[in-house]
Amino acid sequence: MSRLLRSEILKMRSTRTNLTLLVSMLLLVVVIVLVHGLTIHDVELASRSEQRSLLAVGAVGVIFAALVGIMSVTSEYRHGTIRPTFVFSPRRERVVCAKLFASLLVGTAFGVLAEGVAFGLGSGVLAARGAHLALGTGDALVLLFGTIGAAALWAAVGAGVGALVRSQVGAILGVVVWVFVLENILFGLLPGAGRFAPGPAGQAMTGEEAAHLLPPLAGVAVLAAEAAALGALGVLAELRRDVG
Amino acid sequence: MADHAISVQGLTKRFGRSTAVEDLSFTLATGTITGFLGPNGAGKTTTLRMLLGLAEPTAGTPLVFGRRYRDLEDPAHRVGAVLEATDFHPGRSGRDHVRTFAAATGIAATRVDEVLGLVDLAGAARRRVKTYSLGMRQRLGLAVALLGEPELLILDEPANGLDPEGVRWLRDFLRGFAAGGRTVLVSSHVLAEVAQTVDQVVIIDRGRLVTFAPLAALTSGVTGAVRVRSPEADRLLAALAAAGIEASTRLPGELLVRDAPSARIGEIAAAAGIVLHELVTEASSLEEVFLELTGREPS
Repeated sequence: MSRLLRSEILKMRSTRTNLTLLVSMLLLVVVIVLVHGLTIHDVELASRSEQRSLLAVGAVGVIFAALVGIMSVTSEYRHGTIRPTFVFSPRRERVVCAKLFASLLVGTAFGVLAEGVAFGLGSGVLAARGAHLALGTGDALVLLFGTIGAAALWAAVGAGVGALVRSQVGAILGVVVWVFVLENILFGLLPGAGRFAPGPAGQAMTGEEAAHLLPPLAGVAVLAAEAAALGALGVLAELRRDVG
Repeated sequence: MADHAISVQGLTKRFGRSTAVEDLSFTLATGTITGFLGPNGAGKTTTLRMLLGLAEPTAGTPLVFGRRYRDLEDPAHRVGAVLEATDFHPGRSGRDHVRTFAAATGIAATRVDEVLGLVDLAGAARRRVKTYSLGMRQRLGLAVALLGEPELLILDEPANGLDPEGVRWLRDFLRGFAAGGRTVLVSSHVLAEVAQTVDQVVIIDRGRLVTFAPLAALTSGVTGAVRVRSPEADRLLAALAAAGIEASTRLPGELLVRDAPSARIGEIAAAAGIVLHELVTEASSLEEVFLELTGREPS
């Protein structure tokens, strides 16, 4: 298992795709933090919720982590490397598990970097504008670890979806439409059910104080369970289907 | 069972209503080099994918060293395979591509460089695969297949897209590989590509077995045509027709006779006083044998 994990990590490191994603993510974080941080009105600078939303910009890392997870599987189908991969390791369930864990690890790294940069740069901007940090240590820790955890789990969700769908375009499109459209509609119409969806569960993990969201730890439990369920479905799908 | 590298019994694969492989059976002893032949679309690739556990048979169980592929203890050290020459991430270097497979099975990095050298890719190993020619990609696939020093090598159309030099390289390589008593199954839609390498052939068409025979038996049993050159070809044509022998004009002054031995043609010509410049029995080319067996028209 550790061999397969090493192999999967090597696959993720040895093309420029994930590096490009990482650099794009960090640029996006920096731009959003700067634009947001420099345009807050002076009167709102001390507001706790305003500061929190600035420091939480690292959440954009979650969608990048999901992309890394999706592509850990779909890239192999797209380029055909899945064939030699399964010839070398015909126990497909082990390969899919290795991809889930590798995604979890790389997703964690993406989360650390995205939220680390957002928090560090955001605090710097606030300090430069003379504002005191209104966020307590506990809230800050929930924000930091929650965002990192959400990125890690969403990367695993991505790997599970990738194993289910196989098609790169299909999986990415599916996740984007789900996260940015369907989930929002669900959460808007039926918040009682919608808060259990993976997106809102991830938001809950970061301690976001929007109405109807679950408490942070419940968010962790829900998103982790969903990632595990999708991973299990992905394993079953790989075991049942032929590789063309 | 132990001395069978591959054993296929009643193998069938259906995709919806179409049948790709139907009731296919053959057994390959270890140490043999077998050509797996058939026109494009005959079911070769589907058969190989079932052998390697990538596709599930509708009926029958293909066995590799007496077991289903996925039940092999350590498949990477027993079987090497190349299914497509295109199975690479274009942005990954050749060396990193091989390394991912070495890592998956705990094969040392020194072996990675060794197999890259073996397929003449040491110099290009750190370049990204997108810069490789088709021949280089074929060899990179081979490097991965050789990583675990397998006893059985399965190659699907390895000569596709190779230039004559590449084909020669492949032939020499396969001979060397099999010289150590190891087993090779190599598919092709062109018999001539593998004829100089294999000892036996499995020929399939439309998913069914056509022939499973030693290569020598395949070529010796087929009668050739007789080529006749004469300044009076038209008269000879008429004389043969009068004797009930069909002939066709291939070039001006040249006939091709299919269903008569050369002696009989000579006698007829002599009786009619026709001058012959040439009377040759042509060994039927391998491709003709192949086309004859699969019942396809030469294109």
